[in-house]
Amino acid sequence: MIDAFFLAISPSYLMFMTIGVLLGLVVGTLPGLTATMGTALLVPFTFALPTGEGIAMLGGLYVCAMFSDAIPACLVNTPGTPAAMATGFDGHPMVQQGRGQEAIVAACFSSALGTMFGAACYLLLAWPMISIALQFGPPEFFWLGIFALTIIGSLAGDSILKGLAGGAIGLLISCVGISHAAELNRFTLNIPELRGGVSLVAALIGVFAVPQVLSMILGLRKQEYVAEYKSEKGVVLKTIVKVLSRPIHFLRSASIGSFIGILPGAGSPIAAIVSYNEAVRWSKKKEEFGKGNIHGVTASEIANNSAAPAAMIPLVTLGVPGSSPAAVIAGALMLRGLNPGPELFATDGTLVYSFGWSLFIAGIVVFFIGMLATPILVRIIKIPLRLLAPLIMFLAIIGAYAIRNNIFDVYLMLTIGIFVFLVRRIGFHPGPIGLGFILGPIIEPSLVQALYISDALGVGKIFFSGTINITLISLSVISVSAVAISRIRARKLPKVKD
Amino acid sequence: MKFKIENIIKGALASFIGASMAFTANIAFADYPDKDITFIVPYSPGGGSDQMARRLQPGLEKALGVNVKIVYKTGGGGAVGFSELHRSKPDGYTISNVVVPNVIITSKGDGIGYKPKDFSYIGMTEAAVGALMVPNDSPYQTLDQFVAAAKEKPGMLTVAGVGSTGANRWGGLAEILGIETTYVPVSGGVGKMMPMLAGSHVDGGMTASNHATKHKAIVKALVVAGNNEVATLPGVPTEPAWTYVTTWGIMAPPGTPADIVAKLNSALREAATDASVRDALVKGGYNPIIQTVDEVNAFMDAQIAIYE
Repeated sequence: MIDAFFLAISPSYLMFMTIGVLLGLVVGTLPGLTATMGTALLVPFTFALPTGEGIAMLGGLYVCAMFSDAIPACLVNTPGTPAAMATGFDGHPMVQQGRGQEAIVAACFSSALGTMFGAACYLLLAWPMISIALQFGPPEFFWLGIFALTIIGSLAGDSILKGLAGGAIGLLISCVGISHAAELNRFTLNIPELRGGVSLVAALIGVFAVPQVLSMILGLRKQEYVAEYKSEKGVVLKTIVKVLSRPIHFLRSASIGSFIGILPGAGSPIAAIVSYNEAVRWSKKKEEFGKGNIHGVTASEIANNSAAPAAMIPLVTLGVPGSSPAAVIAGALMLRGLNPGPELFATDGTLVYSFGWSLFIAGIVVFFIGMLATPILVRIIKIPLRLLAPLIMFLAIIGAYAIRNNIFDVYLMLTIGIFVFLVRRIGFHPGPIGLGFILGPIIEPSLVQALYISDALGVGKIFFSGTINITLISLSVISVSAVAISRIRARKLPKVKD
Repeated sequence: MKFKIENIIKGALASFIGASMAFTANIAFADYPDKDITFIVPYSPGGGSDQMARRLQPGLEKALGVNVKIVYKTGGGGAVGFSELHRSKPDGYTISNVVVPNVIITSKGDGIGYKPKDFSYIGMTEAAVGALMVPNDSPYQTLDQFVAAAKEKPGMLTVAGVGSTGANRWGGLAEILGIETTYVPVSGGVGKMMPMLAGSHVDGGMTASNHATKHKAIVKALVVAGNNEVATLPGVPTEPAWTYVTTWGIMAPPGTPADIVAKLNSALREAATDASVRDALVKGGYNPIIQTVDEVNAFMDAQIAIYE
């Protein structure tokens, strides 16, 4: 492992990893260019490099994209990748309050810490963690998805009913396309493109970017900028101290992130959602979340970044990637004739460990590059709305097209965007709708598989037994009842305002 | 391996004929190809089709003298990419992966817009027979033990496979073995199936045998389809009555001119005969294939007849 460390800090490893980080900054910042897309586009260029440097570069891109997707999420309320959806819940209100720099610095610093935590898990705890992760079968994934859905309680805003309806709309739209079990056409209206389902990335751009642009245009006469921008001295240091002053919050978010990152198929978006939900649950100032609480931003960013290196753990221990970018890295290794998995751990341990160290160091590099870029990026909000609105629209359209090179996704993105814009005006929060999109592809297949298995073994044994199932069910029940109780209490209290 | 030796001989002969055909094509279409070729991958980055495309990309670029750009058009079990190719101009500048039987089975959906007979096939490059596998620490270490357990408690053993193609193929083997099990469909490919097997959430999994080679650390194959032992899975019994083969190749849009197809075919054969490509296939537990245009058309006709 020491050899691997010295390899990872050798100039060529550092150089290519840093190039990866710089590319990741671009990829994550542009909505529609996801980490998966970015790594896939970079793979052919890594063939010119030795294997170690090649995957270090891909890893650098991956972890940096998990930070930079927070930039558009905060500044213009459009997550750069699905993993940053929860970052925007508090990040954008912070920007609107003129705390843009603080939000980005918080995202950057917590991303860096999260990456290092995840990489440390990869280096030290790969085997014990994977043995727990393997306990997750279809019923456990189903309950995890249900548990993640309970975040609607803290997102819903004024009406819990509208929150639930929003989540249901998201889940229903995620059902469009060929079904998971019997391959039935559902809600496809005989349009061939819909058979593949609604693209998650295009849908999320629609949910967040389009309503944002439309509101900007409607508010043009009242407002000329997204928010005020004032450069404050010492804000970097102050923010870092704020993040560091909550060690338990950090450990909780990072552990949730790394653990969910390991689960094959769950990945960074789910990690960020669950971590955000827990941050709200354990906070004494629950009502501040969603209104610009810095710990909402850090909870999401710590978790989605620690999930990225952790997604490599199932790859090196089982040969199964934990996320789509990890799948691309697996493909890059296989094209070189290496078989990622326990075999590679045994035959080429140095490569496996040097990759872990590269990811760890990438965390540090992300921080410094992020700090250099922040003052420039934050100035995006100084662009007047009449220029910014068309610019976001332009990027949204390119992003929706780029993800599958399909113009149909652009139409879909616009349709969903106009729909969300309209329902937002009657009090729906876009968060639950986006949540439904992200969780549908986890909940539905696992429910179907668990039902098939329960055909053989019985519903009670599959769904309602086992430590993990019981824990997740109890947590979900606690979440829901906590929300219900606080709402009933709030109703009994006399109204203070007006 | 009958498949392989036959095809090497045929391939050697055919490449001679193909080369002369390509020469004539060169005269007729002297300017093809004079711009980049787009290669549609209908499955996710990092998956089997993506790897196949990337394996062949350098060889194709060398043989054709232009860049080959890979684009992903994923979804619908491959249907989105296949139908995109179906709509593309048949000028030889757009090609895609083809996976058999997936292209045949997906075409049966309502309003899908393509039929497997429509496409201009360039050639198949690799195949793998089906396999039934169990987790390495399974209580059933041989096919006999698995069959005995399934007979003892009918319907109680669970077997995972990929979608309806898997259900169809597994049904075939279960019938041959005379057992009744519960089928668990996995969507999105074999990558999702392996963790289920590793955690023993299902008793068995059924898919192409190359996955059993790749995931030896997790799974043990109990039986493979066909007459011949799979070289990378020595000692695994064969089931001649079970005819499950997955074949991967390249195709072009319907109505692509014959000379362009011939030119692409000879480029593909050149790329596929490259030693590094063949090594990767053999090591991965695939049967490498090299086909002429006539051979791939005959192959497709036979496959379509099986599944229709």
